[in-house]
Amino acid sequence: MTFRFRRTCSHCRRCGASARRAALLALLWSAALSAQSFTQRGFFEIRNFAFPQTAPNDSGRIVSEQLLRWEAAWRMSPALQLNAGFDARFDSHRQFERAWRIDWADRRRQRPAISARRLSLLAHKGGLTFEGGRQFIRWGKADILNPTDRFAPKDFLNVLTTDFLGVTAVRGTYERGGETLDIVVQPVFTPSRTPLLNQRWAALPEEAAQFIIREAPVEYPRRAAAGARWNHVGDGYEFSLSFYDGFNHLPVYAVSATLLPPPTIVFQRIHPQMRMYGGDAAVPTRWLTLKGEAAYFASTSPLADNYVLYVIQAERQRGEWLFVGGYAGETVTERRVQIDFAPDRGLAKTFLGRASYNIDPNRSMAFESAVRQNGKGFYGKFEYTQAIGAHWRVTAAANVLRGAREDFLGQYRRNSNLMLVLRYSF
Amino acid sequence: MSRFLAAALLFCAAVSAQDARSIIEESQRRARSGSQRYEGTLEVIDSKRKVSTKRWVYERLGSAGNSKAVLRFVAPPEVKGVALLIHNYPERASDQWMWTPAVQRERRIAFQDRKTRFFGTDFTFEDLEERDVDRSTYRMLGEEPIAGEPCWKIESTPKPEARSQYTRLHVWIRKADYVAAQIDCYERERVIRRIRYSDIQNVQKIWTARRIEVEDLVRNSRTVLKLEKLEYDVSLPADLFTLQALRRER
Repeated sequence: MTFRFRRTCSHCRRCGASARRAALLALLWSAALSAQSFTQRGFFEIRNFAFPQTAPNDSGRIVSEQLLRWEAAWRMSPALQLNAGFDARFDSHRQFERAWRIDWADRRRQRPAISARRLSLLAHKGGLTFEGGRQFIRWGKADILNPTDRFAPKDFLNVLTTDFLGVTAVRGTYERGGETLDIVVQPVFTPSRTPLLNQRWAALPEEAAQFIIREAPVEYPRRAAAGARWNHVGDGYEFSLSFYDGFNHLPVYAVSATLLPPPTIVFQRIHPQMRMYGGDAAVPTRWLTLKGEAAYFASTSPLADNYVLYVIQAERQRGEWLFVGGYAGETVTERRVQIDFAPDRGLAKTFLGRASYNIDPNRSMAFESAVRQNGKGFYGKFEYTQAIGAHWRVTAAANVLRGAREDFLGQYRRNSNLMLVLRYSF
Repeated sequence: MSRFLAAALLFCAAVSAQDARSIIEESQRRARSGSQRYEGTLEVIDSKRKVSTKRWVYERLGSAGNSKAVLRFVAPPEVKGVALLIHNYPERASDQWMWTPAVQRERRIAFQDRKTRFFGTDFTFEDLEERDVDRSTYRMLGEEPIAGEPCWKIESTPKPEARSQYTRLHVWIRKADYVAAQIDCYERERVIRRIRYSDIQNVQKIWTARRIEVEDLVRNSRTVLKLEKLEYDVSLPADLFTLQALRRER
């Protein structure tokens, strides 16, 4: 089986612009370092995966990833703050690029070797806060799935171990008493990063081995996305209403095939227009914390569904134990999707649970599972974490995936793995 | 005669209760300040005598159970940036939110979470909130010295609406300066947590314990909090104690 990729190489002019931006940034930070209102943190992490089984499109069993993350904030005045975050990555499996340039947009197929995770200017006065630039915007209250979290694309190169991607946006927030109004405009689209076709998380059917699989260039939406959220904190409860008009950061696929030799299948990622009407609520009671989140998604695209996605969950803390259990459901009101990559909908119609236990201040363990209501998919995880001294942390985990081929979880049944993570924080 | 004795006993009990409450009120009045800021160093000593150190910055606006406070970890690197926002109310249990920078989200702490240890220390979330004097009833138990200092020993019983994890507290108040010297926290008939206050200094005319030791008698672990760079009545803007501030401060 052959996979062909259209590799985008760095353009000289683009490299020059990147270098100038990096130099300006370095100057800014050197000025910042001398200031007292400068804070920073970060970590270096080595993450190793061992897969007992190979996949039809990936014979690799051991994957190692290294990540250096640095985050800093410089308060220039009481009302003005510059936030930055950079990642440098390397891996053994060619999921990350090898080009040593700073990627400001972070929307290529491979994860960039060096990326600006965050770079934003924040201004605030009284209850009013403005943040412009690359930033993280998180909406929603549930812990197991967030249908309303529309400005939070993720990196799904590894579908189980994901990481949020920053978005380039302008965010205005007004908070007064228990009321918060959040308005976001995102002029530059950031998609979620989908699994690479020659990697095991793409989970291609075995029949695809007879074809050359090619990915057509993607055309990202050019219109800005916008959203608003109103949050109310009451006496012993809180809820939000949210609206989003933009594009789905998860793609649907247009597929074309040629049977003439060589037989080829061409996938093209499309990020369809999407409008979301959502809400979330949290009610802490004496015994349980109840959380719910629901959203209705409508699209004018002939390739995208109209549907409702919802989550209900209960949370209970008992001594050193924390239990979270819930159900994610979905109702499709108009079905149009043929092929898509939608981990959020992939977790619908599923019972989800998590139990974690703090053994002592330095050791903890957690169990996590997702069971499809029709029994066709299962995901289970056991994780043990130990802190060593003030800087080091070791995490060992076992992930088990089982199920039918047509099920979102089941399609990854050959991807059960063991994970070992070593992190040095500074 | 017996009716007179009963009335006298009731009167004595009322006077005693009033005295106990007055002492607590006076203690609270003397500790009152418009705001407070300190840098805290915590040593957590587990049951195997293994010590881990944490540092936080604490800022409070308002006092006596009607206040807002933010507690932000600055060390070790593993927990740097984790923050707790507390809104204390005189008439009900506090609202608390915890901010975790790794997930860029705040999480509301539920009532039942408040008996949970706060980030591996021996403080529970409830221990970090302020209590108004009206949210408990008081009874004088007598006098008993702590570390050689004469103290009043008072029983404080949280009212049901306070939704406390503790059945009652035994509080020792120093006669000399009305500063709490020790608190024993009971769950039913058992002392589960003991808080000792020492290194009492006059800071801006407020007698303050600069060393607070919390001992978890169930787990056999303890946490020592030392207050450094302590200041009262510092200028703190109100917008520092909001959910937005949790997100924006690093």
